[in-house]
Amino acid sequence: MFDQARGLALLVGFFLFGGFLHRVGVPIPGGVLGLLLLYVALTTGLVPLAWLQRAADLLLRHMVLLFVPLTVGLMDLGRVLSRQAFALSASLIVSFLAVLLTTGLLGRWLVAVLPADAEAAE
Amino acid sequence: MSVLAALRHPVFSIAFTVVCYAVALALHRRWRWVPPIVAASVPIVTLLLAARIPYADYNRGGNLLTWWLGPATVALAVPMYRNGRRLKRSLPRLLLVVFAGAVVGMTTAGGTAWLLGAPIAVAMSAVPKSVTTPIAVEVARELGGIPQITVALVILAGVLGATFGPAILAIFRVREDRSVGVAIGSASHGIGTASLVRRSELQSAVSSWAMAASGVVTSLLAAALALLLRHAKL
Repeated sequence: MFDQARGLALLVGFFLFGGFLHRVGVPIPGGVLGLLLLYVALTTGLVPLAWLQRAADLLLRHMVLLFVPLTVGLMDLGRVLSRQAFALSASLIVSFLAVLLTTGLLGRWLVAVLPADAEAAE
Repeated sequence: MSVLAALRHPVFSIAFTVVCYAVALALHRRWRWVPPIVAASVPIVTLLLAARIPYADYNRGGNLLTWWLGPATVALAVPMYRNGRRLKRSLPRLLLVVFAGAVVGMTTAGGTAWLLGAPIAVAMSAVPKSVTTPIAVEVARELGGIPQITVALVILAGVLGATFGPAILAIFRVREDRSVGVAIGSASHGIGTASLVRRSELQSAVSSWAMAASGVVTSLLAAALALLLRHAKL
């Protein structure tokens, strides 16, 4: 319990700090700033992974709950959605395939072309 | 306080949303094909329509849940760090791949919608559709898109990747673990990543790193784009 509370407090703290930096002029969204700062803090050992692991897993595992309210908001957008249904579906499928194949093929090429490394297992 | 007034209270919207989510999870555990997000949202929409509660009223409570997407974004640093540590030597290459994927994803999603006549706000909503929900929502807001549309597209991109991703890659002879992982993480974020867990440990580690990395790269690119747009308007 204490473990999770400490982890959540840290995540909220980094988020608020990121939001603060965003408001004073850094053009990156607050959440992403918080992510980058936390990544640096983890890499430098400033914040030990053990403090955060359980809280982060909790939030990420139940992330679907957090975007239920936005999904419910689609109820007000029926008109836009039906009028733009074709453009949105086409955009979704074209872009999905484009990203999947760009990254998959480029990834395969880079893995084959450059010398292999054996970090596969911990 | 009348029943209807109670239904509009933020505490009720949060409680009802949590209950619907718990039930949706249970349904999903019983029948795997039931998507939790749909099973959780449908009863809420039904109640709001039946009781004639405007979305804005529900969302006074709903907003408090949405707010937690911020700390959830920060939490992505954990899988990124954890998996990045074991992929150390591939990271520069994987980052290059993720970067290419982000550029292609943003331009094709926004571009296709715009060319097919979607208004600019709708096209902007499509731009971050490949990345994980909390980051996609932030990016959509930044670009003047509609976050609700973004969420719907993000979920669908995830489901497409979880369902067809590995099979499509196999047709193009992409089967090597790191390539599959980076492709699914870039195109289908968390939903795609979750589907790889049963396939291969390395695939899901790369995918979970790639989903966080591509979220970061996409939001940096979007920030640059937003600055440019603001500049162009002045």
